[in-house]
Amino acid sequence: MLEDLLINGATTGAVYALLALGFTLIYGVAKILNLSHGAFYMLGAYIFYASLNFLQLETFPALILAVIFVAFIGAIVYGLLIRPIIESELNVMVVTLGAAMVFQYMVILLFGSTHKTIPYLIPQLPLVEILGVSVRTQKIVALAVSLSLIVVLWIFISKSKIGGAMRAMAQDRETATLMGINTERLFVLTLVISASLAAIAGVLVTPLSVASPDMWMFPLIISFSVVILGGLGSIKGSLVGAFILAYAEESVVFLAQGEEHLRGAFSLLIMVLVLLLRPSGLFGKRVEME
Amino acid sequence: MVSSYLRRFYISFATSILDVPPRLLAFLLFLLLLCVPLMKLSGYLLTVLVLANINALFATSWDLLVGRSGQISLGHALFFGIGAYSTALFSHYFGLPIWATLLLSVPFGVLAALLVGFPCLRVKGPYLALVTLAFPLIFVRLFFVDIPGVINIKAIMGAEFGISGLPSFLPVPPYSPYQRGIAEYYVSLLLLGVCAVALYKIARSKTGIIFVSILDDELASKASGINTTRYKLTAFTISAFFASLVGGFYAHFMRGASTSTLLFGSPTAPGSFMVVIMTIFGGIGTIYGPIVGAYILTLLPAFLREIIVLVGELANLRLPIEEWTAIIYIIIAVIFIVAWSRGIATSIVEKLNELAEIEELRKDKKKGKKRR
Amino acid sequence: MRLLEVENLTKRFGGLTAVNNVSFHVDEGDIIGLIGPNGAGKTTLFNLITGFLEPDSGTVKLKGEDITRLEPHEIVNRGLARTFQVVRPFRHLPAIANVIVSCVSPRGARKLEWLKSPERKALDMLELVGLSEMMFEPAENLAHGDLKRLEMARALATEPDLLLLDEPFSGLNPIETDFLIKSIQRLHLDGYTLVIVEHKLHALMKLIKKVIVLHYGEKIAEGSPKEISRNKKVIEVYMGGGT
Repeated sequence: MLEDLLINGATTGAVYALLALGFTLIYGVAKILNLSHGAFYMLGAYIFYASLNFLQLETFPALILAVIFVAFIGAIVYGLLIRPIIESELNVMVVTLGAAMVFQYMVILLFGSTHKTIPYLIPQLPLVEILGVSVRTQKIVALAVSLSLIVVLWIFISKSKIGGAMRAMAQDRETATLMGINTERLFVLTLVISASLAAIAGVLVTPLSVASPDMWMFPLIISFSVVILGGLGSIKGSLVGAFILAYAEESVVFLAQGEEHLRGAFSLLIMVLVLLLRPSGLFGKRVEME
Repeated sequence: MVSSYLRRFYISFATSILDVPPRLLAFLLFLLLLCVPLMKLSGYLLTVLVLANINALFATSWDLLVGRSGQISLGHALFFGIGAYSTALFSHYFGLPIWATLLLSVPFGVLAALLVGFPCLRVKGPYLALVTLAFPLIFVRLFFVDIPGVINIKAIMGAEFGISGLPSFLPVPPYSPYQRGIAEYYVSLLLLGVCAVALYKIARSKTGIIFVSILDDELASKASGINTTRYKLTAFTISAFFASLVGGFYAHFMRGASTSTLLFGSPTAPGSFMVVIMTIFGGIGTIYGPIVGAYILTLLPAFLREIIVLVGELANLRLPIEEWTAIIYIIIAVIFIVAWSRGIATSIVEKLNELAEIEELRKDKKKGKKRR
Repeated sequence: MRLLEVENLTKRFGGLTAVNNVSFHVDEGDIIGLIGPNGAGKTTLFNLITGFLEPDSGTVKLKGEDITRLEPHEIVNRGLARTFQVVRPFRHLPAIANVIVSCVSPRGARKLEWLKSPERKALDMLELVGLSEMMFEPAENLAHGDLKRLEMARALATEPDLLLLDEPFSGLNPIETDFLIKSIQRLHLDGYTLVIVEHKLHALMKLIKKVIVLHYGEKIAEGSPKEISRNKKVIEVYMGGGT
């Protein structure tokens, strides 16, 4: 159904945007390629699950708890792992990737490797009728929450003082530090925001499929496919790229009648094309000469 | 007084090691490794050493690309896995002998390098890292494609289980599994030895010099008339050559190839991530660094396992060994990388060089010479 | 023979026009100075000519061939070499390896005399600039003056017909400056054509026959050093708030 495609594309796009924004934000501000971004997504989902099943919380408090927990983990990852080696981009990548793998194994230890299902944010209302089509409410919720968060983030970055500091850092690091911006605190804050967004994305999307310990890889791939398409460090790029990628993917899946595996292969194709034609992405900085 | 005497003894000992040319040292170590099977080690330990050799060659091939020509690749297992699968496919479906399947693993790896390298050439730093990271992850999904009536890749590639039933280097009857293990060990050691020497020669050649020039300052290299794009592609290709070759060997060693050969790896299996931490741990940009790192980090999990099993017995718990080994392993590796970002082997060599210089200064001072 | 022909070269960065409709030519055997206050666009002009930047409009012709859109290494291999304002050595390589890189380039290797290896040629180049003692020293250990000479050796090893030097005198002490003046004079006598960007005018004026003055990306004057020193516009620019 075409309406399916429209709604799926919008939802997927919004969530992809949420993921990519966090990823591009921490890179733009702190030049950190955070490869544990997908792991924050996963941890969000699993902590949500744990809060529901072991702490017997309701869905919204569980969501809040998941975000707080992941934000906290993010801060620790920054302080303990990233900060000591932040000058080396390669080492940061290695260390964050290592962290992601450790998180995966920890999840296996704590929850086992079998797939887990987590309930919708509004479990009492599984389906809703829109335009004559039966749609899973979680998709609408995901769309709504993602879009709201994106708007809030946009306002925050363009209007607030901290947002200004972030933009300054992203544009010209040296001058920004000379202006007296406390880089340490800014970096931690940015990573915390980034991680929280990823965690929320995890809670929003996982009810639509299953949670498994290796689920951190896919959101990571998505994050950087979007970011390569849109340009690293560009918020506009992440938004535009996310929706382009989402609709392209959904169209392919739609046309190939649900061949989910092609979804990933398609991202690859797009990525390769972008790299050949416009290596810095749609809105990325064109680096001509160092 | 005793401490200063010990200090002088230590310094003279350390610097005398430096008098032995490093190549000689490497050769002696190689001879030592050749004698290992004479030590009557357990079959298990032998397989760990074979894995160490595999990791060492894989890591050295990665180091050429990343440490020497400066192109970050976080998906090197793509070539490794393609080598493994090519070998497996030729062995399983065509029944070719081992030497043929190993040879055939290489052209596909090189082809992949050209296909992957080409779009990557215009891409720098973080973009390159992300792209190389994504390539194998997405490539794996292609192995699950099943278009009815057209082509069933899933069936050909064996889906999650991959292809199995590959022959090993010695048939078990009439040889014993232990003898087969020894054969595997020698083949792996020979492979490592020959390829490491080849990589060393490449690194020291004029091509190697140009690789370093690209690493240091690509624009300046261009200003010296170098077609850096072509050399970057060459680095990719050479690196993939060795990675796919060792991937092919791995397939025969494991008697099969599965999708795990294309992914990040684990403490007991080679992969994109493992190769990175082994090289950085040992010392990036050198030939000995990745080899040392690979050896230490391949033996470490075996060691950790014993400890965890022991702890489990003592505490009367049934500990999930795989997960605990992996967690502790990664934590240790990460701690080392955070604390010693120069790499263990490199730090040691630097320290020795420092001591040698101090020693020389002391000697010159004694002779009354003034050093420039 | 007309070696270099620059016509209407223009480059904009967003709202800023760094190089505005600049035209000039260089004949074989010339030794030309390119001067102007900071930010006048001299280095940008060099980058445009040598292929490191793409112009928005205009052409660059080397020996009659249009090289405007060529890659930097392609331009070098056609006989146009440059040095950088801020030295760019290959830090991890020893001095001799730095020069070997140039000797392996197609043009650098082509002009090898019979039986000469790239290493031999690299050594000769180092001797030429007076660095042969340091040949095994890692570039990151060399002093600034030595690095400038290394950069010169690297450029010369590509057998250029035309050499563009970007502030070769910056950071040099009087002895080094003197040595460089003599080296440039000798290069000129050996047949090299040179274009030199420089701030240290006293050193420059001894060497060059023709001066081109840039200001805010535009060519405001061209002529002999004497003519330029009397040019009203140039005086205004330099006295009024230039260097």
